[in-house]
This record gives sequence, structure tokens and C-alpha cells, in this order.
Amino acid sequence: MNVIKVENLSKYFGEVHAVDEVNFSVNKGEIFGFLGPNGAGKTTTFRMMTGVLKPTNGQIKIFEKNVWKDPIPIKQIIGNVPEMANVYPDLTGMQNLTLIGELYGVPKKINKERAEKLLKQFELFEKRNFKTRKYSKGMKQRLLLCMALMNDPIILFLDEPIVGLDVQSAKIIKQLLKEYNQNGTTIFLTTHDMEVANELCDRIAIINKGKIVSLDTPENLKKLFQEFQEIDISFNQDINKEEFEKLSSIKKVQKVKDGFSVIVYEVNLAIIQITDFAKTNKLEIKRLNTHQPRLEEVFLKIIERGS
Amino acid sequence: MKEVVKIKEESIFPKKSKIEQFSSQMKRSIAIAKKNLRIYYNKGPVVIQGFLFPGIFFFAMTIGREILPIYIISGLMAMVLFLSATSIGPITFPWETRQKTLERLITCPISIKTIILGDVWASFLFGSIISIVPLILGLLIFSFWSSLNLVIIIVGILVSSFSFSCISIILSVPPSDTPASTMILTVIIKFPLIFISPLFMPIESVPSAMISPLTYFIDIINFGLSGNSAFGSFGILIDFGILLLFGFGFLFLSFKLHGKTLQKRFRG
Repeated sequence: MNVIKVENLSKYFGEVHAVDEVNFSVNKGEIFGFLGPNGAGKTTTFRMMTGVLKPTNGQIKIFEKNVWKDPIPIKQIIGNVPEMANVYPDLTGMQNLTLIGELYGVPKKINKERAEKLLKQFELFEKRNFKTRKYSKGMKQRLLLCMALMNDPIILFLDEPIVGLDVQSAKIIKQLLKEYNQNGTTIFLTTHDMEVANELCDRIAIINKGKIVSLDTPENLKKLFQEFQEIDISFNQDINKEEFEKLSSIKKVQKVKDGFSVIVYEVNLAIIQITDFAKTNKLEIKRLNTHQPRLEEVFLKIIERGS
Repeated sequence: MKEVVKIKEESIFPKKSKIEQFSSQMKRSIAIAKKNLRIYYNKGPVVIQGFLFPGIFFFAMTIGREILPIYIISGLMAMVLFLSATSIGPITFPWETRQKTLERLITCPISIKTIILGDVWASFLFGSIISIVPLILGLLIFSFWSSLNLVIIIVGILVSSFSFSCISIILSVPPSDTPASTMILTVIIKFPLIFISPLFMPIESVPSAMISPLTYFIDIINFGLSGNSAFGSFGILIDFGILLLFGFGFLFLSFKLHGKTLQKRFRG
């Protein structure tokens, strides 16, 4: 079931087409990653989806309701952590949370209880009565996430939630996002961090220059680029690199510290050919590891291809 | 099947009557007002315009002049109320645009009207509370107890504070993220209004007074202290009518204009 449907979405700033005819949908209960380099249109799309920037064309539907025609009921069921937003620096962590609770119409008693629970969950309870101008970036980001969860949202929108965070904050946030997702929260996440996308997302859309250039699961995206499969190998003695490179399954050989990093066209065939090569040349294979293509490589390849 | 879909939709989006929607938005506007009062009462522009300017103007306009006590109280109250009730409203939008908190606010289930109303309530409360001080001081010093109509004065303060607050919100319409630039606009508009108003003098002696909303508040205070209005027997009704007209007129204009400029605040 689609909970978010984006149709022909465009945003123009004068001559600049920040987002251009974007289409995708997000299924119930999934973590949907929206990846792209800086300036690709991620945040503009995010801001249109959360009712901040008005689209030039197209529409965004959440549970079949148009975000821009009927914004209040939709905003009531979503939580969001905008990249370009801040907590109130002159309010304490607790005051920030209860304010958001009040703005979502959370009953007074539940408001305080929920705020306390979230502050504990995100390890901010000790600092709840400190003004947030004294919070670190990681603490502010965790508080923004607490604010997004104050209304117990059905869908969570996160714009670069982990960028620039310390290891502890990033770990806490990733762990809790997984937990919320397991409890049924649908998550829309923009990021340019492949690790985050790979670790968290069920599906990924890659946007570049305002257009979606790919949309699939992380695994399928990696499969698309088999040429990035890599074998890490070392022999008991020096080999003739030129001869080795002539094997038909091998695309590229690169000398590394105590062996070779080999980019192959097809892993299984490459392993057979390398074993034969070793036998023929009376070599002993000391180490042989295969690597799946990293999402980062896939991403760069897709962006390159799109350009 | 359709019924199932309908039930599901209703469980996600519970139906609310117009009255329920209005009341929930009003409650949320009060939450915004509380937040504004917590944050902005001690900000530089508010302290300067809400506390310092009334004091400076008072001494500049009164020292060396022979002024009847009734005009001292009404003049001081009008100046304090006008400057304090219009001190918070113009800075919240640019301040929050700069702090990036407006974007967080706009993603909450509230309309731009709710945010504006929140700003109005904050200015209204701030102005109303501050203007009580010169009233109490004036009454203690000049003893107007015999002809005092406290109800008229209190209602006058509340209505005028609302009216002035609404006027102030319009000053933050330009989509700036610099409170200082809004302050310049504020000063350009507010100061001339003070200078054309009949502060510390009879209303009849200032022909241009009719175009200033302060005039009608001064007349209410004069009436509350002495029982006489400059506009005749129905003067007090005219005062309230015009102040409400100013208030609601500027409020609806603010809804319209802020709605138009809001998007420009999120271009960055």
C-alpha cells in the first residue's frame, strides 16, 4: 500500500529547475531513502513534501490526500526533521518538546509524559532543563527527532538526520529509527551518506540535477553494477601483471600492498580462471576475498551515467 | 470495499467539525503566544521599543511643560501601550526566519493564520500588562478615584492592545530575516504616528489626530478618568468601533499579505 505518492513534482526557482518531473511512491512500513549529491534537489523535494515549499507543478499525496490542498490533517500524522530547521535556542529541551506537543494538540498530561519518555530514549533527560543553545549539534539533532516523534507520527520525514553527528548520536538515532520502523512507522529519509542508506533503507531513489535517475532496493542497485565486483588476491610470489590482466573475466588489476585488487566482470568465472592461472604458473594463492560493489560506487556510477 | 477504505481514512484523519478545527487552532495559537512571550520579552528590540522609548519620549514631551494630570496619565498610557504592544509582533517573523525555527513551525499542523494570531496574542498580553504600570502610578499620584471608570479603562486597554498588536504584525510582512531591517520600518511608521497623536494635550488641539489609532485609546482613558469624551455623547462607542476596525482590518490584511510572502522566507 502506498502511503506517499509523488506525481510529476517540479519546483522552479526562476530559470533553475531544482526538481523536475519527479515521480515515486513510498510503501507502508518501509524506510525509503532519497539519495543524491549536494544540490541534487533532495531538500527541495523534502520541503515540498512536508508543506514548506509550494510545488511549481505536480502533486504529493499522503494517504490519498493532497499535501497542499489539505495540509493540516496531513501534518497532524507526520513527524519531520528538516535539515534547514532548528530548535528554539532560548527554550529548554523540555519546553521545545512540550511546545511541539501543544502545536499537535497532544493532551497536556500525555504531552509531558511523552516528552519525558522521548528525552530518556534519546539520552537527553539529564539536560532537559538546559536551554538548547547549550546543546551540542548531536544533542540538537536528537532533540529535533524527539520533536518529530511528539505526535506519534505514522510517517516520519527526515532530511539528512545524521549528517555531521558524533558517533554516539548517529548510533542512537539509527538504532531508534530501526525500532520505530519495526513498530510500523514509515520513514522517508534524505541523505547523501551511502552507509546510512545501505544500513537503513528498504528502497532507494537516487536524484541528480532534479531528476530521479534510479529507484530500487540497495541490493538490486548493487546488482545493476556487477562490473564493480572486486576480488582481493595475493600469491606466494610475484606474478606477471600483464599476463594476469589478460584473463577474460578480469577488467582491471591494481597492485595493492601485498597483493592485487581485481575488478572482475563475473566473479565465479574469474575465480575459476584465477585458480587455473595459479596452477599453470605454479603459484600458491595466499588470500582470495570477494567484495560486493559498495553502494557508494554504484551511486557514483549512476550519477556519472546520469550526467 | 469502499466502506473499508472510508473507515481506514477516518481512523487516520478523524473528522472534525468547523468549530472543533477553529478551537484547536485557537489553542495552538495560544501555545505560540506563550512561546513568544518566553523568548522575545527580553530581546533587544523589544526592550528598546517596549521599555526605553516610552520613558525617553515621556520625558522629552513633558519636561518643562504644564500638562493637566489627566493628559499625563492618558498620554503616558497610550505611548506605553502602543510602543510595547507593537514591539514583539514585528520581530518574530524575521527572527524565526533567521533562526530557522519558522520552518519547524510551519511543518506543524497549524495555518499561517494561527501563527499570526499567536504573535498577536503575545503582543496583546505584553502591551496590556505593561500599560497597567502607568495606570496604577497615575492613579496613585493624581488620585482620580472619584470619577474613575475602571471597567471602561480595562476594556479600553484590552481592545487597544489587540488593535495595536494587529497593526504591528503587518510590519513583519516583508520577508526579511533581519530583525534590524524590520525595526527600521517599524520606527518609520510608529514614530510619526506618535507625533501626530494628541499625547499629553487635548485631542481637539491636534487636527491630524483622527488618523492615528492612539487618539481613540487616549479618548477612552480620558473618558474613564473624567467621564468626558472629545467625540461627544457617543464618543466612547466611536472609539471602540474605530479601534476594532483598525484591529480586525490589519489582522485580515496581515493574513493575506503574510500568506503571500511566506514562501519567500524559505527560498534559502
